[in-house]
Amino acid sequence: MVTKSVVSVSVAASITITSSKLVINPAHRFLCLKRLSSFNSFSASSLAIKWRGVSSCSSNKSATAMEGFTTRTRASAQPLENADELISSVETFIFDCDGVIWKGDKLIDGVPETLDMLRSKGKRLVFVTNNSTKSRKQYGKKFETLGLNVSEEEIFASSFAAAAYLKSIDFPKDKKVYVIGEDGILKELELAGFQYLGGPEDGGKKIELKPGFLMEHDEEVGAVVVGFDRYFNYYKVQYGTLCIRENPGCLFIATNRDAVTHLTDAQEWAGGGSMVGAICGSTQREPLVVGKPSTFMMDYLADKFGILKSQICMVGDRLDTDILFGQNGGCKTLLVLSGVTTLSMLQSPNNSIQPDFYTNKISDFLAPKAATKDIELRGDLSSLNGLDCVRIVHTIKSIVRAEQSRAVHKVVAASPRNLLSQPTMSSLATNDRCWKSAPSEIA
Amino acid sequence: MESTTPNPTSTAAAELLTGANAKLLLDSVDAFLFDCDGVIWKGDKLIDGIPETLEMLRSKGKKLVFVTNNSTKSRIQYANKFRTLGLSVSQDEIFSSSFAAAMYLKVNQFPPQKKVYVIGGEGIVQELQLAGFTALGGPEDVEKRAQWKSNCLFEHDKDVGAVVVGLDPDINYYKLQYGTLCIRENPGCLFIATNRDSVGHMTDLQEWPGAGCMVGAICGSTEREPVVVGKPSTFMMEFLLQKFNLSTSRMCMVGDRLDTDILFGQNAGCKTLLVLSGVTTRSILDDPSNKIQPDYYTNKVSDILGLLGE
Repeated sequence: MVTKSVVSVSVAASITITSSKLVINPAHRFLCLKRLSSFNSFSASSLAIKWRGVSSCSSNKSATAMEGFTTRTRASAQPLENADELISSVETFIFDCDGVIWKGDKLIDGVPETLDMLRSKGKRLVFVTNNSTKSRKQYGKKFETLGLNVSEEEIFASSFAAAAYLKSIDFPKDKKVYVIGEDGILKELELAGFQYLGGPEDGGKKIELKPGFLMEHDEEVGAVVVGFDRYFNYYKVQYGTLCIRENPGCLFIATNRDAVTHLTDAQEWAGGGSMVGAICGSTQREPLVVGKPSTFMMDYLADKFGILKSQICMVGDRLDTDILFGQNGGCKTLLVLSGVTTLSMLQSPNNSIQPDFYTNKISDFLAPKAATKDIELRGDLSSLNGLDCVRIVHTIKSIVRAEQSRAVHKVVAASPRNLLSQPTMSSLATNDRCWKSAPSEIA
Repeated sequence: MESTTPNPTSTAAAELLTGANAKLLLDSVDAFLFDCDGVIWKGDKLIDGIPETLEMLRSKGKKLVFVTNNSTKSRIQYANKFRTLGLSVSQDEIFSSSFAAAMYLKVNQFPPQKKVYVIGGEGIVQELQLAGFTALGGPEDVEKRAQWKSNCLFEHDKDVGAVVVGLDPDINYYKLQYGTLCIRENPGCLFIATNRDSVGHMTDLQEWPGAGCMVGAICGSTEREPVVVGKPSTFMMEFLLQKFNLSTSRMCMVGDRLDTDILFGQNAGCKTLLVLSGVTTRSILDDPSNKIQPDYYTNKVSDILGLLGE
């Protein structure tokens, strides 16, 4: 009786590998066939190495992700293949919010489970956002509304950063702060005990440029804080400009300089960079930026929680704020493609910011490690000798190498005892540290 | 552009205007180019001695040209303002940055079927229309407000092929967003700035943020740099030279701003005279960080009259 045994070598690929990807290396298949056909015990037709892949990714984004991965080899940004490794290598995760946790008012898929999983592994979670429209308390409510278990103390918005900065430099309590921005900044300043002027209220003020009209400004203003402001107008610009130009030593602080922001998930909106640009234009001065990519918030966090920056992983969707923030701060960086940055933007020759890793969305942390690809060796394997095994091992290794995957590989042997008992195969198991045996399929 | 060697004395300190050098200056130039805000007027108030000085210069056969970065009015509207203030100046003698923006589009063959979005005043809109272009925005969008509900999309006209940004005391978020979307999303959309003055004398009593503010806002949201058509860019000089058959070395630029007026004059190869009746003080001129030195400086335009003893 001829038992048709099938030795399946199962290649556990990263989640970003789709089945189509593996078909790209037909040459290797044939090469393998050729090599194997020279084996004494086998005939060419009796031994076929077949790739059979099952991918766990079905979205368009992953297909694109893989496409890029095969054609370009950049020294930097690697697709995240071993999430567990990353997770165990850091103690704290810092998450951006827009484009990472939510988009507008909609939660991104899989976020609650991912955060829960990380917490269950004892990881500290921190949320750092450049959006200055809300205070930490107001953000806490937003998280709550979306069903996420996040406390106010874990949230660091750029509105908070502005107030924290003023505190850190002992900004005198008898001086005032003029705000070109929204409610979030006002609330944080109030909490920190600073007097403020301006904010949304001044959005309704109009001026008439006519002879004899003089606009007064408070000479006690010692700092102008500028952030995203939907109630932006000429009155505020003039007030802020007068303070900066005429009050000696007046500080010019920017919460952030993001060019565009995702106020709604449908489109981009002119961001804080616009209001800051306006004041730069009228004062010819550069501001002190407290939000990303400035490391002020990173330093503050590290100090507050007593954590080493090398123990932190920054997760964000923007290269020029989130990733640069992480890099400037000296921590690991993970770019998610669920926000404003696409894979082609990451890989464009115009882009010089390369995160350590990239992945589609944070719930990829939850994805099963294996999207199994089977390499089937068909034929009579019952009488393999040592040399045959060596050749099989070499062939399989070269296929896997050609795939350029750093995934963990599994060997599923049909006749495990037969195959693995061969010294070569077991030595392979030992040497590669990543080959395990598992029950096989019998065709 | 026909010009002699660039001003070689741009780093030597400016000379105070005296009776002697004023006479020399007058004899060596055939045309005077005047900035307006801070030189001729401050807001809506004429600066002392202007009418008499201008009359004297005209009587000596000097051509007078008014080159202003203030884009809120068109040339016709400026001619009206001059008339209201008792000065006789024709439209042809005025080169406003509003006019410059329209001319830039014309010389670069901007297709008339494309539209122009304006973040600025009536002046820009009028000049664009005079040149045969379709203008959107401007004063029309002053009262508009953006909505940010998740099912509400902020629409913008996909036929906008250029955004022109100038001084806009009615700046608001709607205009910023509209201009930003056009520049970021309409392929090949131009970003034109009438000028980038940081502040100016929009009223007689104090300085106010200039177009540099609105332009800075759009630079901030688009991460792009604009084409600047006003001073110190010498774009307007091209039109000036077409009108007057003169070499720029026979012209004197009179202004109150170093980084626009004086730089414009120097870039074009003209003589330059700084007046201290506007945004620049003596200490700014003398400050070591200042790298722009005009040929001459004086308190105000009417000093020319006074020094010549006329």
